[in-house]
Amino acid sequence: MRSIQRRLGVGLLFILLLVGVVMVNASIWLVDLGLRRYLQNGLRDEAELLLIATVRGPAGIQLDELRLSPAYQRPLSGSYFRVDLPDQVWRSRSSWDFQLERPTRSGLQHGLVDGPGGQELLVYRADFRRFGSDLSITAAQDYRPLSLAFTQVRWLLSGIGALALLVVLLLQWLNVRAALHPLERVRLQVLQLQQGRRGRLDSEADRELAPLVEQINSLLQHTEGSLRRSRNAVGNLGHALKTPLAVLRSLLTRAELDALQPLRRQMDDQLDVVEQRLARELNRARLSGEVLPGAHFECDQELPTLCDTLRMIHPHLCQLSCLAPPGLRLPWDREDLLEVLGNLLDNACKWALTQVSLSIEQDGQELLLRIEDDGPGVAEQLRSSLLARGSRLDEQVPGHGLGLAIVRDTLDAWGGTLQLGNAALGGLRVDVRLPLPN
Amino acid sequence: MRLLLVEDNVPLADELVQGLQRQGYAIDWLADGRDAAFQAACEPYDLIILDLGLPGRPGLDVLREWRDAGLRFPVLILTARASWAERIEGLRAGADDYLAKPFHPEELFLRVQGLLRRARGLDSRAPIEVAGLRLDESRQTVWRDNEEIGLTGAEFRLLRYFMLHSNQLLSKSRLGEHLYEGDGEPDSNVLEVHVNHLRRKLGRQVIETRRGQGYCFVGLSA
Repeated sequence: MRSIQRRLGVGLLFILLLVGVVMVNASIWLVDLGLRRYLQNGLRDEAELLLIATVRGPAGIQLDELRLSPAYQRPLSGSYFRVDLPDQVWRSRSSWDFQLERPTRSGLQHGLVDGPGGQELLVYRADFRRFGSDLSITAAQDYRPLSLAFTQVRWLLSGIGALALLVVLLLQWLNVRAALHPLERVRLQVLQLQQGRRGRLDSEADRELAPLVEQINSLLQHTEGSLRRSRNAVGNLGHALKTPLAVLRSLLTRAELDALQPLRRQMDDQLDVVEQRLARELNRARLSGEVLPGAHFECDQELPTLCDTLRMIHPHLCQLSCLAPPGLRLPWDREDLLEVLGNLLDNACKWALTQVSLSIEQDGQELLLRIEDDGPGVAEQLRSSLLARGSRLDEQVPGHGLGLAIVRDTLDAWGGTLQLGNAALGGLRVDVRLPLPN
Repeated sequence: MRLLLVEDNVPLADELVQGLQRQGYAIDWLADGRDAAFQAACEPYDLIILDLGLPGRPGLDVLREWRDAGLRFPVLILTARASWAERIEGLRAGADDYLAKPFHPEELFLRVQGLLRRARGLDSRAPIEVAGLRLDESRQTVWRDNEEIGLTGAEFRLLRYFMLHSNQLLSKSRLGEHLYEGDGEPDSNVLEVHVNHLRRKLGRQVIETRRGQGYCFVGLSA
């Protein structure tokens, strides 16, 4: 995966390398230039001293050896001269067998001239006129120790530069990490958003991120709005159809239709189909619409009211117990879970003689909802058909056989399972297992 | 038994009014939440069937207002919003039962019967049985021992009210208020005629006359 951190690091590395190399070379070049200027003055002085040392002797013009610097006497000392007279050439003793060439032009020579023993000579030529003849004095000095020093300095600077580069890169890494921290925070918030633990991003983001956060938030709002609208549309349509359906149901009971029993029954069946379809689609629309969970299910808060409601609907029950660990919070939408529990418990209450119990427990990564009653139960061979969609076994007890289908739809959406068994109380046991979302 | 139906859908209300009348209830119908809030507070209804999606005022609001005012008549909520969350909300607001649309009319009638029995402290699932008489509400007859006695509509209404209020002194005006809808209160002679019919069918002693006060249903055992 591409990384901003790495790209910034590589970019900075190249920039710093370029700048470092240019800086080191330029500074060395400038120092070298200054040094040569300085040495040029020295060489000119040498040339002038040589001029002064040129005296008229008994054998014509000659060099007064005593006036010369001892460095010109010692072989290969690094200081050399050459004096060109019209008829002869003098060379310093120090040049030994090395022939210092006379430069073609006067002044400091560009570049260095190879000297004896690997020396590199800085050469200066000055032209004079003395005792009526032209003198061309060339003084040279070994520049090699300085060149070596420069090389050393270059290496040293490169080393320091590399070290500095590492430090800078490290600091930059820390810096970028700190600068990207808000981005990381937003990333975590988006993750929480996905898990449904928050409804929108914090709007107090850094200035650079604010537009992004705003965009995401307004997108969320838009999605939420259009979802709610379409959900409401389905809901409104569904609910609007229910009253006419109730009217049709009522019309079917008219005495005029008593003579047309088969017709009445067929219409009744068709109304059943419409009604079931409607209830399930309404439930499904609500389920699929729930991207951003509103309230989760607080057992301590919801179970007592649910039980009260059931006791009110089924006053014949002596005992309706709801057991859940205190403070348990189920991470599903409150209304959907109420629908599941309400339907299952209502069903149990319809069949129970006196007792219904609900227990909720957490079993590892699963949640187990167990509903038991002391009613007649369901024979094993009938259980699978009970689970088949929309069927109902209870022709006597009022209800539309819809509850279980709605429960199944909801459980399917949550990846849960439903199993029927024998209850310890004697009747039917319904086990609902729900995988806990991470 | 006098009921108030609060329902804004006219065809449904028509059907329900007719159906409930066939069941022997006196029934008033209102379509607006504001009217309902007012009328239920001044008329002595035995039960109210309340739709939640009402024009004027939401049904739940009206219900809360009644309960806050201390009105204890049973209320059956009738609504298209059938989720358990809404059901719980309705029952917490003070409803006694909740029926989701669409429903079979029989189911509504059964619920109404049950609620009326429950409101009188009787088992909502067992038929009304008082002092040797058993009322069959579906056939609108009464059983004395193993003998089924047929009743006219008016007799059935009267007997049901008596049996739900046995051993209580019931004035003629109270009987009139609870047995006839709206302003259709009959003069007391009509009531007297029905009472006499019942006495003739069931035995003189079942209904005692308290002169100047009204009637008291005591059944066969007294």
